[in-house]
Amino acid sequence: MTKATSSIKLMIHRFGIIPAMIVTLLVVMVAGTAIGAVYVPFFDTLRIILKNIGLLPNSTFIEGQEPIIFLVRFPRVLVAALAGTALAASGTVMQGMFRNPMADPGLLGISSGAGLGAVLVIKLGLAAVSIFFMPLFAFAGAFLAIFIVYMLSYRKGKVPVLTLILSGIAISTFLGALTNIVLTLSYDYQVKEFLFWSTGGLDGRRWEHVQLVFLPIIISVALMFVFSRDLNVLLMGEEEAKSVGLNAGRTRTILLILISIATASAVCVSGAISFVGLIVPHIMRLIVGPNHKILLPTSAIGGAIFLVVCDLISRVVVIPFELGVGIITALLGAPYFLYLLLRSKKEGGMVL
Amino acid sequence: MNTDNIIEIHNLSFEINDNKILKNISLSVKTGEFVGLIGPNGAGKTTLLKCINGINKTDGEIKVKDRSIQELSDKNLATEVSLMHQNTAISFPFPAIEIVLMGRYPYLKRLQRESKEDYSIAKKNMEYTDTSKLENCPITEMSGGERQRVLFAKTLTQETEVILLDEPTASLDITYQEQIFKYSKERSSQGITIIAAIHDLKIAARYCTRLVLMNEGEIVADGSPEEVLTSENLSRVYGINALVYRNRITDLLDIYIHKHNSQKKSEKIHVLGGGGSASGVLRQLYEQGYNISAGVFSHGDSDIGSAEVFGIEHLVEKPFSEISDQRNNENIAFIKNSDMVILCNMPFGNQNLRNLEAARYAKKLVIIEDDSPETRDFTEGKAVEIYNQLKKSAVAVINSAQLHEVL
Repeated sequence: MTKATSSIKLMIHRFGIIPAMIVTLLVVMVAGTAIGAVYVPFFDTLRIILKNIGLLPNSTFIEGQEPIIFLVRFPRVLVAALAGTALAASGTVMQGMFRNPMADPGLLGISSGAGLGAVLVIKLGLAAVSIFFMPLFAFAGAFLAIFIVYMLSYRKGKVPVLTLILSGIAISTFLGALTNIVLTLSYDYQVKEFLFWSTGGLDGRRWEHVQLVFLPIIISVALMFVFSRDLNVLLMGEEEAKSVGLNAGRTRTILLILISIATASAVCVSGAISFVGLIVPHIMRLIVGPNHKILLPTSAIGGAIFLVVCDLISRVVVIPFELGVGIITALLGAPYFLYLLLRSKKEGGMVL
Repeated sequence: MNTDNIIEIHNLSFEINDNKILKNISLSVKTGEFVGLIGPNGAGKTTLLKCINGINKTDGEIKVKDRSIQELSDKNLATEVSLMHQNTAISFPFPAIEIVLMGRYPYLKRLQRESKEDYSIAKKNMEYTDTSKLENCPITEMSGGERQRVLFAKTLTQETEVILLDEPTASLDITYQEQIFKYSKERSSQGITIIAAIHDLKIAARYCTRLVLMNEGEIVADGSPEEVLTSENLSRVYGINALVYRNRITDLLDIYIHKHNSQKKSEKIHVLGGGGSASGVLRQLYEQGYNISAGVFSHGDSDIGSAEVFGIEHLVEKPFSEISDQRNNENIAFIKNSDMVILCNMPFGNQNLRNLEAARYAKKLVIIEDDSPETRDFTEGKAVEIYNQLKKSAVAVINSAQLHEVL
């Protein structure tokens, strides 16, 4: 373990971790596009993508490959990458601002808030009016949820993490119940539509979905990078932050809005995907350390890699069926979460 | 308004849940002063520091360099005033240099990177606090002393004219306890104003140019260490019996805290001592509340210091002279008046031989003998002869550890 870690560290030192991760991301994205029920060779896939984004204008391919690659698989992979970036970056920010490595957007009611927003859109038939209602409502639900959770846990300028997580669970459950009430009153086809959304599947994601969330995710994550230094200072504690001139309350509010935008965007195109925001920042923290200037970008890229790979696994493990990608992330994430809990228990319970 | 004052506080009150932590505090601090805030736990020292730093929002007026801190932005205030907190818990493994660089936060714009100058300021302060070697060491792997010195370097890197320290050495080993105060003293002599909440009164007296004694949210004394650290002030505020004196060995203010027996005893005891032999005896008798007298000491004897600290009536003879008739008579008068006389484990020479002779007049004589009298006799046997006679009439011959048994 330590030998592996040190050799990874050496590699990072030599090549720079961010370029290395970008290359890795591009490779897994092409691989994710190439592999499927119909296999298209890796370099053909790459050339199809390049042709369609205007970089290789004079190539020809076997009939039928181009639409499969560029209209079906590639947007799906892009959605996975964007959602992964959003979730992992949000998780990193959340852990930093709450000074706790167990914080995750999913634990704090964001996903269930977004879920309630989504089910309302379906119930009211707004999804058919415009595809923009879904993200808007999901965002509103997510922000409302995290706002309530935050206010419930806020005491005398401090946010005790245990209170935060417990109120997150309570609010999640409550919003889940509201969602179920709406579902009970819905028609079968609406329930199916919601279920499809909520299992965290990337099946059938098209370019519209990419267009829908591309800007909100890229912008909110980019703005999170701007707060790297503030996050580092926040890790020292609220009063320490005030001593060097950082207004912790205001910074947290801005960051909560950014997290809500990024997470809600991710959730509205990918459904409820858990644990990405928890384990990716953890792994990156082990590799690059706690400094957000490097941790945040690497986690963002790492999240994209992780979700693209998980999506790929979800498509190939039980061909011709497909598992929801949320199932894969949960299968990988839950044991890791437990491992961390047990380890922190052994080390004296620093985590909670 | 006096422009010499870098900090001006007027009628500052602060409460948490209707619980008044600070009551009408007014305080002015001059540039370059090293002010020690002292007082029992819960006196409001930390709260006051946090008010000056803007962490605690108050209605009272706090001015730094003639500008109210409410008018200053968070970052602007952080370039004027820095605060080193007590027990900063950092559970993420930042290397020391990153921590120290956080002191540059108020000077950097959002997207600005730390410049070479920022790095050189940070490194200079790490060198100053002897933490250069720890530059890349994670803060989570440091000892308490190392961590505090790194945090102090961070505070210095903030380059403020006012530095607030909240119990900077509360959890440190004795080796490191005074280091931060030494650094602070140096800074204050360079014109930096320092206000520190300090638990240890002796350290406060040693390093601070001015002490502010707080109790239950109020300032009860303010002035030089000698003015503030008086037996009366300490006894009142801490609810203990304290004696403050200048330690003759270190020439520093020292504090003696004792469990004073509130009931004064009417019994009178006279102590014959000298050469430092009486100090411990006088202290024990004082604690028990006896009516004490002592003598005859030779001028410059350390026993005189003890007698002065405890406010004991005592007789002193001129330096290097034999006890005069006058002193001898006074001594005998004291002895005759006393219910008990204690003869301490003192050396005998021709100068103080009359002390021994006077012991004959004791109604009740207790002799303390830690060392055999022969080794203490510098009168070629004269003293031992008298001493052995006295031993026969003494009600007890004990060593000093047994003193409480005869009282």
